[in-house]
Amino acid sequence: MNIKETTSKLQDFYILSFKAPFGIFRKPFYFHDIVEQMDYAGTGSFFIVFLVSLFIGMALSLQTSVELGELGLKMYTGRIVGLSIIKEIGPVLIALCFAGRVGSGMASELGSMTLGHQVDILRVHGVSPLKKLVTPRVISAILMLPVLTVIGDAISLAGGYYIAVFVSHQSGSFYWSQIKEIMDFENIFSGVIKPFIFGYLIACISCYMGLSTKGGAQGLRKSTTTAVVYSIIMIIVSDFMLTRVLIYAFGMSV
Amino acid sequence: MIEFQNVTLAYNSLRVLDDISFNVRFHERIAILGGSGGGKSTIIRLMLGLLRPDSGKILIDGQDITVLSESALREYRMKFSIVFQEGALFDSMNVRENVAFCMREYLNLSEEEIENRVRELLKMLGIENAIELMPEELSGGMQRRVAIARSLAECSPKMMLYDEATTGLDPLTADNICNLIKDLSTGELPDRVGFVLVTHKVTDAVKVAERYMYLKGGIIDFDGDLEALRNTDDPELRTFISELFTAEGKT
Repeated sequence: MNIKETTSKLQDFYILSFKAPFGIFRKPFYFHDIVEQMDYAGTGSFFIVFLVSLFIGMALSLQTSVELGELGLKMYTGRIVGLSIIKEIGPVLIALCFAGRVGSGMASELGSMTLGHQVDILRVHGVSPLKKLVTPRVISAILMLPVLTVIGDAISLAGGYYIAVFVSHQSGSFYWSQIKEIMDFENIFSGVIKPFIFGYLIACISCYMGLSTKGGAQGLRKSTTTAVVYSIIMIIVSDFMLTRVLIYAFGMSV
Repeated sequence: MIEFQNVTLAYNSLRVLDDISFNVRFHERIAILGGSGGGKSTIIRLMLGLLRPDSGKILIDGQDITVLSESALREYRMKFSIVFQEGALFDSMNVRENVAFCMREYLNLSEEEIENRVRELLKMLGIENAIELMPEELSGGMQRRVAIARSLAECSPKMMLYDEATTGLDPLTADNICNLIKDLSTGELPDRVGFVLVTHKVTDAVKVAERYMYLKGGIIDFDGDLEALRNTDDPELRTFISELFTAEGKT
Protein backbone atom coordinates (compact mmCIF):
# COMPACT_ATOMS: atom_id res chain seq x y z
CA MET A 1 0.00 0.00 0.00
CA ASN A 2 1.51 3.33 -1.01
CA ILE A 3 1.47 6.59 0.91
CA LYS A 4 -1.20 8.16 -1.31
CA GLU A 5 -3.57 5.26 -0.73
CA THR A 6 -2.94 5.20 3.02
CA THR A 7 -3.51 8.94 3.30
CA SER A 8 -6.69 8.67 1.26
CA LYS A 9 -8.02 5.86 3.48
CA LEU A 10 -7.18 7.76 6.66
CA GLN A 11 -8.90 10.82 5.27
CA ASP A 12 -12.03 8.78 4.47
CA PHE A 13 -11.96 7.31 7.97
CA TYR A 14 -11.65 10.71 9.63
CA ILE A 15 -14.47 12.15 7.53
CA LEU A 16 -16.71 9.19 8.43
CA SER A 17 -15.79 9.43 12.11
CA PHE A 18 -16.42 13.17 12.19
CA LYS A 19 -19.67 13.25 10.22
CA ALA A 20 -21.35 10.12 11.57
CA PRO A 21 -22.37 11.35 15.06
CA PHE A 22 -23.56 14.70 13.72
CA GLY A 23 -25.88 12.96 11.25
CA ILE A 24 -28.40 12.74 14.07
CA PHE A 25 -28.93 16.52 14.00
CA ARG A 26 -29.77 16.78 10.29
CA LYS A 27 -32.81 15.60 8.35
CA PRO A 28 -33.82 12.97 7.44
CA PHE A 29 -33.80 11.34 10.89
CA TYR A 30 -33.56 7.59 11.08
CA PHE A 31 -34.82 7.05 14.63
CA HIS A 32 -36.29 3.67 13.76
CA ASP A 33 -32.87 2.48 12.57
CA ILE A 34 -31.24 3.84 15.74
CA VAL A 35 -33.71 1.96 17.95
CA GLU A 36 -33.20 -1.21 15.89
CA GLN A 37 -29.42 -0.93 16.23
CA MET A 38 -29.70 -0.20 19.95
CA ASP A 39 -31.73 -3.36 20.34
CA TYR A 40 -29.13 -5.39 18.43
CA ALA A 41 -26.14 -3.86 20.20
CA GLY A 42 -27.65 -3.55 23.67
CA THR A 43 -30.30 -6.17 24.33
CA GLY A 44 -28.58 -8.64 22.04
CA SER A 45 -25.29 -8.31 23.92
CA PHE A 46 -26.78 -8.65 27.40
CA PHE A 47 -26.26 -12.41 27.73
CA ILE A 48 -22.58 -12.39 26.78
CA VAL A 49 -21.95 -9.37 29.04
CA PHE A 50 -23.76 -11.12 31.90
CA LEU A 51 -21.68 -14.29 31.62
CA VAL A 52 -18.32 -12.62 31.08
CA SER A 53 -18.85 -10.09 33.88
CA LEU A 54 -20.07 -12.66 36.36
CA PHE A 55 -17.13 -14.99 35.87
CA ILE A 56 -14.47 -12.28 35.72
CA GLY A 57 -15.87 -10.81 38.97
CA MET A 58 -15.77 -14.22 40.63
CA ALA A 59 -12.27 -15.03 39.35
CA LEU A 60 -10.92 -11.68 40.46
CA SER A 61 -12.48 -12.03 43.91
CA LEU A 62 -11.05 -15.53 44.22
CA GLN A 63 -7.53 -14.48 43.27
CA THR A 64 -7.62 -11.38 45.47
CA SER A 65 -8.92 -13.31 48.47
CA VAL A 66 -6.08 -15.83 48.20
CA GLU A 67 -3.36 -13.21 47.88
CA LEU A 68 -4.74 -10.90 50.57
CA GLY A 69 -5.43 -13.88 52.82
CA GLU A 70 -1.71 -14.58 52.97
CA LEU A 71 -1.15 -11.03 54.21
CA GLY A 72 -4.09 -11.18 56.61
CA LEU A 73 -5.95 -8.48 54.68
CA LYS A 74 -8.73 -10.59 53.18
CA MET A 75 -11.42 -8.14 54.29
CA TYR A 76 -10.19 -5.64 51.67
CA THR A 77 -11.16 -7.93 48.80
CA GLY A 78 -14.20 -5.77 48.04
CA ARG A 79 -12.10 -2.64 47.73
CA ILE A 80 -9.63 -4.14 45.27
CA VAL A 81 -12.26 -5.99 43.24
CA GLY A 82 -14.42 -2.86 43.11
CA LEU A 83 -11.61 -0.56 42.02
CA SER A 84 -10.34 -2.98 39.37
CA ILE A 85 -13.78 -3.65 37.95
CA ILE A 86 -15.16 -0.12 37.94
CA LYS A 87 -12.07 1.71 36.70
CA GLU A 88 -10.37 -0.73 34.39
CA ILE A 89 -11.46 -4.32 33.86
CA GLY A 90 -15.19 -3.67 33.45
CA PRO A 91 -15.00 -1.00 30.70
CA VAL A 92 -12.18 -2.72 28.79
CA LEU A 93 -13.51 -6.26 29.00
CA ILE A 94 -17.04 -5.33 27.99
CA ALA A 95 -15.71 -3.16 25.16
CA LEU A 96 -13.69 -6.14 23.91
CA CYS A 97 -16.81 -8.35 24.00
CA PHE A 98 -18.72 -5.57 22.24
CA ALA A 99 -16.07 -5.33 19.52
CA GLY A 100 -16.19 -9.09 19.01
CA ARG A 101 -19.94 -9.34 18.84
CA VAL A 102 -21.30 -6.00 17.62
CA GLY A 103 -18.24 -4.62 15.77
CA SER A 104 -17.82 -7.76 13.72
CA GLY A 105 -21.56 -7.77 13.04
CA MET A 106 -21.46 -4.18 11.80
CA ALA A 107 -18.46 -4.80 9.55
CA SER A 108 -19.86 -7.99 8.03
CA GLU A 109 -23.36 -6.54 7.53
CA LEU A 110 -22.12 -3.37 5.84
CA GLY A 111 -19.52 -5.36 3.91
CA SER A 112 -22.19 -7.68 2.61
CA MET A 113 -24.37 -4.70 1.66
CA THR A 114 -21.43 -3.10 -0.15
CA LEU A 115 -20.61 -6.25 -2.11
CA GLY A 116 -24.30 -6.81 -2.91
CA HIS A 117 -24.61 -3.25 -4.34
CA GLN A 118 -27.19 -2.30 -1.68
CA VAL A 119 -25.02 0.66 -0.68
CA ASP A 120 -24.84 1.69 -4.35
CA ILE A 121 -28.64 1.54 -4.55
CA LEU A 122 -28.87 3.91 -1.58
CA ARG A 123 -26.50 6.34 -3.29
CA VAL A 124 -28.36 6.11 -6.61
CA HIS A 125 -31.59 7.01 -4.85
CA GLY A 126 -29.93 9.94 -3.09
CA VAL A 127 -29.87 8.35 0.37
CA SER A 128 -26.63 9.00 2.23
CA PRO A 129 -25.15 5.67 3.37
CA LEU A 130 -23.39 7.60 6.12
CA LYS A 131 -26.65 8.88 7.58
CA LYS A 132 -28.73 5.80 6.91
CA LEU A 133 -26.20 3.13 7.89
CA VAL A 134 -23.34 4.61 9.89
CA THR A 135 -25.01 7.23 12.10
CA PRO A 136 -27.51 4.79 13.69
CA ARG A 137 -24.71 2.31 14.42
CA VAL A 138 -22.39 4.92 15.91
CA ILE A 139 -25.14 6.44 18.05
CA SER A 140 -26.31 3.04 19.25
CA ALA A 141 -22.75 2.02 20.18
CA ILE A 142 -22.11 5.31 22.01
CA LEU A 143 -25.34 4.89 24.01
CA MET A 144 -25.42 1.16 24.61
CA LEU A 145 -21.82 0.37 25.56
CA PRO A 146 -21.93 2.58 28.71
CA VAL A 147 -25.25 0.97 29.70
CA LEU A 148 -23.78 -2.50 29.21
CA THR A 149 -20.68 -1.48 31.15
CA VAL A 150 -22.69 -0.27 34.15
CA ILE A 151 -24.76 -3.48 34.12
CA GLY A 152 -21.60 -5.58 33.66
CA ASP A 153 -19.85 -3.81 36.56
CA ALA A 154 -22.81 -4.50 38.84
CA ILE A 155 -22.85 -8.18 37.84
CA SER A 156 -19.08 -8.48 38.39
CA LEU A 157 -19.36 -6.95 41.84
CA ALA A 158 -22.20 -9.36 42.65
CA GLY A 159 -20.04 -12.27 41.44
CA GLY A 160 -17.18 -10.99 43.59
CA TYR A 161 -19.57 -10.76 46.54
CA TYR A 162 -20.65 -14.39 46.09
CA ILE A 163 -17.04 -15.63 46.21
CA ALA A 164 -16.03 -13.31 49.07
CA VAL A 165 -18.96 -14.30 51.29
CA PHE A 166 -19.74 -17.94 50.40
CA VAL A 167 -16.29 -19.24 49.44
CA SER A 168 -13.84 -16.99 51.27
CA HIS A 169 -16.18 -16.58 54.28
CA GLN A 170 -15.85 -12.81 54.57
CA SER A 171 -18.38 -10.36 55.89
CA GLY A 172 -20.89 -9.40 53.21
CA SER A 173 -21.74 -6.04 54.72
CA PHE A 174 -18.03 -5.14 54.96
CA TYR A 175 -17.59 -6.13 51.29
CA TRP A 176 -20.34 -3.72 50.24
CA SER A 177 -19.12 -0.99 52.62
CA GLN A 178 -15.71 -1.20 50.90
CA ILE A 179 -17.39 -0.91 47.50
CA LYS A 180 -19.44 2.07 48.74
CA GLU A 181 -16.29 3.76 49.97
CA ILE A 182 -14.64 3.72 46.55
CA MET A 183 -17.74 5.01 44.77
CA ASP A 184 -16.54 8.60 44.55
CA PHE A 185 -16.83 10.92 41.56
CA GLU A 186 -13.30 10.32 40.25
CA ASN A 187 -13.64 6.54 40.19
CA ILE A 188 -17.13 6.46 38.72
CA PHE A 189 -16.27 9.09 36.11
CA SER A 190 -13.08 7.21 35.13
CA GLY A 191 -15.09 4.04 34.58
CA VAL A 192 -18.10 5.57 32.84
CA ILE A 193 -16.37 7.95 30.42
CA LYS A 194 -14.35 5.18 28.78
CA PRO A 195 -17.20 3.18 27.23
CA PHE A 196 -18.49 6.28 25.41
CA ILE A 197 -15.11 6.61 23.69
CA PHE A 198 -14.73 2.87 23.14
CA GLY A 199 -18.23 2.60 21.62
CA TYR A 200 -17.52 5.46 19.25
CA LEU A 201 -14.19 3.94 18.16
CA ILE A 202 -15.60 0.42 17.68
CA ALA A 203 -18.55 1.64 15.60
CA CYS A 204 -16.48 4.00 13.43
CA ILE A 205 -13.77 1.41 12.74
CA SER A 206 -16.28 -1.37 12.03
CA CYS A 207 -18.49 0.75 9.78
CA TYR A 208 -15.51 2.07 7.84
CA MET A 209 -14.11 -1.42 7.33
CA GLY A 210 -17.52 -2.70 6.27
CA LEU A 211 -18.11 0.08 3.75
CA SER A 212 -14.63 -0.29 2.25
CA THR A 213 -15.02 -4.04 1.67
CA LYS A 214 -13.77 -5.25 -1.70
CA GLY A 215 -13.17 -8.62 -3.27
CA GLY A 216 -15.98 -11.05 -2.47
CA ALA A 217 -16.06 -13.52 0.40
CA GLN A 218 -12.34 -13.25 1.05
CA GLY A 219 -12.58 -9.46 1.18
CA LEU A 220 -15.48 -9.73 3.61
CA ARG A 221 -13.46 -12.02 5.87
CA LYS A 222 -10.55 -9.61 5.74
CA SER A 223 -12.62 -6.52 6.53
CA THR A 224 -14.44 -8.22 9.42
CA THR A 225 -11.20 -9.52 10.92
CA THR A 226 -9.48 -6.17 10.46
CA ALA A 227 -12.40 -4.35 12.09
CA VAL A 228 -12.19 -6.51 15.20
CA VAL A 229 -8.38 -6.45 15.39
CA TYR A 230 -8.17 -2.66 14.96
CA SER A 231 -11.00 -2.17 17.47
CA ILE A 232 -9.22 -4.31 20.07
CA ILE A 233 -5.95 -2.46 19.55
CA MET A 234 -7.67 0.92 19.74
CA ILE A 235 -9.56 -0.06 22.92
CA ILE A 236 -6.36 -1.05 24.71
CA VAL A 237 -4.33 1.91 23.47
CA SER A 238 -7.04 4.49 24.12
CA ASP A 239 -7.66 2.96 27.56
CA PHE A 240 -4.06 3.64 28.51
CA MET A 241 -4.20 7.16 27.11
CA LEU A 242 -7.51 7.94 28.82
CA THR A 243 -6.22 6.58 32.10
CA ARG A 244 -3.16 8.81 31.80
CA VAL A 245 -5.30 11.86 30.99
CA LEU A 246 -7.75 11.16 33.82
CA ILE A 247 -4.98 10.70 36.37
CA TYR A 248 -3.55 14.03 35.27
CA ALA A 249 -6.97 15.73 35.19
CA PHE A 250 -7.86 14.59 38.73
CA GLY A 251 -4.44 15.63 40.02
CA MET A 252 -3.48 12.15 41.24
CA SER A 253 0.17 11.32 41.67
CA VAL A 254 1.59 8.20 40.04
CA MET B 1 -27.42 13.16 -23.81
CA ILE B 2 -24.61 11.29 -22.07
CA GLU B 3 -21.09 11.98 -23.31
CA PHE B 4 -17.97 10.09 -22.31
CA GLN B 5 -14.89 12.14 -23.25
CA ASN B 6 -11.51 10.40 -23.09
CA VAL B 7 -12.44 8.50 -19.94
CA THR B 8 -9.71 6.42 -18.34
CA LEU B 9 -10.06 4.34 -15.21
CA ALA B 10 -7.73 1.84 -13.55
CA TYR B 11 -8.20 -0.41 -10.55
CA ASN B 12 -4.74 -0.38 -8.96
CA SER B 13 -2.45 -1.22 -11.90
CA LEU B 14 -5.20 -2.76 -14.06
CA ARG B 15 -6.47 -0.30 -16.67
CA VAL B 16 -10.18 -1.10 -17.12
CA LEU B 17 -11.15 1.77 -19.43
CA ASP B 18 -8.52 3.30 -21.67
CA ASP B 19 -9.33 6.73 -23.07
CA ILE B 20 -12.83 5.84 -24.29
CA SER B 21 -15.22 8.32 -25.85
CA PHE B 22 -18.82 7.84 -26.97
CA ASN B 23 -22.23 9.53 -26.88
CA VAL B 24 -25.54 8.06 -25.85
CA ARG B 25 -29.00 9.60 -26.20
CA PHE B 26 -31.53 8.88 -23.47
CA HIS B 27 -33.98 7.24 -25.88
CA GLU B 28 -31.46 4.74 -27.27
CA ARG B 29 -31.66 0.99 -26.64
CA ILE B 30 -28.08 -0.06 -26.14
CA ALA B 31 -26.38 -3.31 -25.26
CA ILE B 32 -22.83 -3.19 -23.95
CA LEU B 33 -21.19 -6.52 -24.65
CA GLY B 34 -17.87 -7.88 -23.50
CA GLY B 35 -16.15 -10.54 -21.48
CA SER B 36 -16.02 -10.71 -17.69
CA GLY B 37 -13.86 -7.99 -16.16
CA GLY B 38 -13.95 -6.01 -19.40
CA GLY B 39 -15.28 -2.81 -17.81
CA LYS B 40 -18.94 -3.11 -18.91
CA SER B 41 -20.42 -2.57 -15.46
CA THR B 42 -17.84 0.14 -14.79
CA ILE B 43 -19.39 2.22 -17.58
CA ILE B 44 -22.82 2.31 -15.97
CA ARG B 45 -21.30 2.95 -12.54
CA LEU B 46 -19.49 5.92 -14.08
CA MET B 47 -22.73 7.16 -15.67
CA LEU B 48 -24.30 7.24 -12.21
CA GLY B 49 -21.33 8.91 -10.57
CA LEU B 50 -20.76 5.87 -8.33
CA LEU B 51 -17.17 5.87 -9.58
CA ARG B 52 -14.97 8.74 -10.65
CA PRO B 53 -12.66 8.31 -13.61
CA ASP B 54 -8.90 8.83 -13.29
CA SER B 55 -9.11 11.23 -16.22
CA GLY B 56 -11.63 12.42 -18.77
CA LYS B 57 -15.11 13.91 -18.53
CA ILE B 58 -18.60 12.44 -18.30
CA LEU B 59 -21.23 14.95 -19.37
CA ILE B 60 -24.91 14.46 -18.68
CA ASP B 61 -27.04 17.08 -20.43
CA GLY B 62 -23.87 19.17 -20.71
CA GLN B 63 -22.87 18.98 -17.03
CA ASP B 64 -19.61 17.26 -16.14
CA ILE B 65 -20.69 14.94 -13.31
CA THR B 66 -17.13 13.96 -12.36
CA VAL B 67 -16.72 17.25 -10.50
CA LEU B 68 -20.03 17.17 -8.64
CA SER B 69 -20.48 16.43 -4.94
CA GLU B 70 -22.55 13.45 -3.77
CA SER B 71 -25.56 15.67 -3.03
CA ALA B 72 -25.34 17.53 -6.34
CA LEU B 73 -25.22 14.22 -8.19
CA ARG B 74 -28.74 13.31 -7.08
CA GLU B 75 -30.34 15.53 -9.73
CA TYR B 76 -28.44 13.63 -12.45
CA ARG B 77 -28.92 10.20 -10.92
CA MET B 78 -32.69 10.83 -10.96
CA LYS B 79 -32.55 10.59 -14.75
CA PHE B 80 -31.63 6.91 -14.42
CA SER B 81 -32.85 3.78 -12.73
CA ILE B 82 -30.57 0.83 -12.26
CA VAL B 83 -31.14 -2.89 -11.82
CA PHE B 84 -28.12 -4.84 -10.62
CA GLN B 85 -27.36 -8.44 -11.46
CA GLU B 86 -28.58 -9.96 -8.20
CA GLY B 87 -31.29 -7.34 -7.75
CA ALA B 88 -29.47 -5.74 -4.79
CA LEU B 89 -32.62 -5.92 -2.68
CA PHE B 90 -32.36 -4.86 0.96
CA ASP B 91 -32.31 -8.25 2.61
CA SER B 92 -33.69 -7.00 5.92
CA MET B 93 -36.90 -5.82 4.24
CA ASN B 94 -39.74 -7.70 2.57
CA VAL B 95 -40.83 -7.03 -1.01
CA ARG B 96 -43.33 -4.33 0.02
CA GLU B 97 -40.72 -2.43 2.03
CA ASN B 98 -38.09 -2.78 -0.69
CA VAL B 99 -40.38 -1.27 -3.32
CA ALA B 100 -41.70 1.38 -0.93
CA PHE B 101 -38.22 2.32 0.33
CA CYS B 102 -37.54 5.22 -2.01
CA MET B 103 -41.12 6.49 -1.84
CA ARG B 104 -40.81 6.70 1.94
CA GLU B 105 -37.50 8.53 1.63
CA TYR B 106 -38.46 11.26 -0.77
CA LEU B 107 -42.16 11.39 -1.60
CA ASN B 108 -44.71 12.84 0.75
CA LEU B 109 -47.25 10.09 0.31
CA SER B 110 -49.67 8.61 2.80
CA GLU B 111 -49.29 4.95 3.76
CA GLU B 112 -52.38 4.15 1.71
CA GLU B 113 -50.97 5.82 -1.40
CA ILE B 114 -47.66 4.00 -0.96
CA GLU B 115 -49.45 0.66 -0.56
CA ASN B 116 -51.51 1.29 -3.69
CA ARG B 117 -48.48 2.31 -5.72
CA VAL B 118 -46.49 -0.74 -4.55
CA ARG B 119 -49.35 -3.11 -5.43
CA GLU B 120 -49.80 -1.41 -8.79
CA LEU B 121 -46.11 -1.83 -9.66
CA LEU B 122 -45.96 -5.44 -8.47
CA LYS B 123 -49.10 -6.23 -10.47
CA MET B 124 -47.61 -4.65 -13.57
CA LEU B 125 -44.57 -6.91 -13.18
CA GLY B 126 -46.65 -9.98 -12.38
CA ILE B 127 -45.41 -10.58 -8.85
CA GLU B 128 -48.20 -9.15 -6.69
CA ASN B 129 -48.39 -12.41 -4.71
CA ALA B 130 -44.81 -11.94 -3.49
CA ILE B 131 -45.56 -8.73 -1.58
CA GLU B 132 -44.98 -10.25 1.88
CA LEU B 133 -41.96 -12.38 0.95
CA MET B 134 -38.38 -11.70 1.98
CA PRO B 135 -35.68 -11.41 -0.74
CA GLU B 136 -34.13 -14.79 0.14
CA GLU B 137 -37.50 -16.45 -0.53
CA LEU B 138 -37.59 -15.16 -4.11
CA SER B 139 -36.21 -16.81 -7.22
CA GLY B 140 -33.56 -14.99 -9.29
CA GLY B 141 -36.13 -13.79 -11.82
CA MET B 142 -38.50 -12.53 -9.12
CA GLN B 143 -35.66 -10.70 -7.38
CA ARG B 144 -34.92 -8.83 -10.59
CA ARG B 145 -38.59 -8.00 -11.08
CA VAL B 146 -38.77 -6.59 -7.56
CA ALA B 147 -35.59 -4.61 -8.27
CA ILE B 148 -37.23 -3.23 -11.43
CA ALA B 149 -40.37 -2.33 -9.45
CA ARG B 150 -38.23 -0.53 -6.87
CA SER B 151 -36.34 1.35 -9.56
CA LEU B 152 -39.64 2.58 -11.03
CA ALA B 153 -41.26 3.44 -7.71
CA GLU B 154 -39.73 6.79 -6.93
CA CYS B 155 -39.48 8.59 -10.23
CA SER B 156 -39.94 8.34 -13.97
CA PRO B 157 -36.42 7.73 -15.29
CA LYS B 158 -35.27 8.88 -18.71
CA MET B 159 -33.09 5.82 -19.06
CA MET B 160 -32.93 2.39 -17.43
CA LEU B 161 -29.61 0.75 -16.69
CA TYR B 162 -29.51 -3.05 -16.44
CA ASP B 163 -26.33 -4.63 -15.11
CA GLU B 164 -26.34 -8.28 -16.22
CA ALA B 165 -30.10 -8.38 -15.71
CA THR B 166 -30.54 -11.73 -17.45
CA THR B 167 -27.37 -13.45 -16.30
CA GLY B 168 -27.82 -16.59 -14.23
CA LEU B 169 -31.47 -17.06 -15.19
CA ASP B 170 -33.03 -19.97 -17.04
CA PRO B 171 -33.88 -19.25 -20.71
CA LEU B 172 -37.61 -18.78 -20.07
CA THR B 173 -37.13 -16.36 -17.18
CA ALA B 174 -34.40 -14.53 -19.09
CA ASP B 175 -36.83 -14.21 -22.01
CA ASN B 176 -39.48 -12.80 -19.67
CA ILE B 177 -37.02 -10.25 -18.33
CA CYS B 178 -36.06 -9.29 -21.91
CA ASN B 179 -39.74 -8.73 -22.74
CA LEU B 180 -40.08 -6.64 -19.62
CA ILE B 181 -37.04 -4.56 -20.57
CA LYS B 182 -38.62 -3.92 -23.96
CA ASP B 183 -42.05 -3.15 -22.49
CA LEU B 184 -40.57 -0.61 -20.09
CA SER B 185 -38.84 1.19 -22.93
CA THR B 186 -42.05 3.06 -23.68
CA GLY B 187 -42.93 6.36 -25.32
CA GLU B 188 -42.46 7.85 -28.75
CA LEU B 189 -39.10 9.04 -30.05
CA PRO B 190 -37.35 11.20 -28.98
CA ASP B 191 -38.99 10.97 -25.53
CA ARG B 192 -38.84 7.20 -25.32
CA VAL B 193 -37.34 5.70 -22.14
CA GLY B 194 -34.13 4.13 -23.39
CA PHE B 195 -31.89 1.63 -21.70
CA VAL B 196 -28.35 0.37 -21.43
CA LEU B 197 -28.16 -3.38 -20.99
CA VAL B 198 -24.79 -4.65 -19.85
CA THR B 199 -24.49 -8.32 -20.66
CA HIS B 200 -22.29 -11.04 -22.05
CA LYS B 201 -25.33 -12.95 -23.36
CA VAL B 202 -25.51 -11.77 -26.93
CA THR B 203 -28.72 -13.74 -27.60
CA ASP B 204 -30.51 -11.71 -24.93
CA ALA B 205 -29.00 -8.46 -26.18
CA VAL B 206 -30.32 -8.92 -29.74
CA LYS B 207 -33.86 -9.43 -28.42
CA VAL B 208 -34.00 -5.91 -27.02
CA ALA B 209 -31.23 -3.63 -28.23
CA GLU B 210 -30.79 -1.49 -31.34
CA ARG B 211 -27.21 -0.39 -30.80
CA TYR B 212 -24.35 -2.62 -29.71
CA MET B 213 -21.01 -1.77 -28.16
CA TYR B 214 -18.28 -4.31 -27.62
CA LEU B 215 -15.58 -3.66 -25.02
CA LYS B 216 -12.19 -5.25 -25.38
CA GLY B 217 -9.04 -4.43 -23.40
CA GLY B 218 -10.50 -1.21 -22.04
CA ILE B 219 -11.47 0.25 -25.42
CA ILE B 220 -14.69 0.21 -27.44
CA ASP B 221 -13.82 -2.28 -30.13
CA PHE B 222 -17.19 -2.14 -31.87
CA ASP B 223 -20.09 0.33 -31.92
CA GLY B 224 -22.92 -0.23 -34.36
CA ASP B 225 -26.28 -1.82 -35.14
CA LEU B 226 -27.21 -5.50 -35.42
CA GLU B 227 -26.44 -5.68 -39.12
CA ALA B 228 -22.94 -4.33 -38.59
CA LEU B 229 -22.48 -6.68 -35.63
CA ARG B 230 -23.40 -9.71 -37.76
CA ASN B 231 -21.01 -8.65 -40.51
CA THR B 232 -18.06 -7.77 -38.30
CA ASP B 233 -14.61 -8.91 -39.48
CA ASP B 234 -13.10 -8.93 -35.99
CA PRO B 235 -12.36 -12.63 -35.32
CA GLU B 236 -12.58 -12.21 -31.53
CA LEU B 237 -15.95 -10.48 -31.75
CA ARG B 238 -17.18 -13.13 -34.20
CA THR B 239 -16.23 -15.78 -31.64
CA PHE B 240 -17.98 -13.80 -28.92
CA ILE B 241 -21.21 -13.61 -30.91
CA SER B 242 -20.97 -17.15 -32.30
CA GLU B 243 -23.77 -18.08 -29.91
CA LEU B 244 -25.94 -15.73 -31.96
CA PHE B 245 -25.12 -17.49 -35.25
CA THR B 246 -25.76 -20.86 -33.65
CA ALA B 247 -29.13 -19.71 -32.32
CA GLU B 248 -30.10 -18.20 -35.69
CA GLY B 249 -28.96 -21.34 -37.52
CA LYS B 250 -31.15 -23.48 -35.32
CA THR B 251 -34.08 -21.16 -35.91
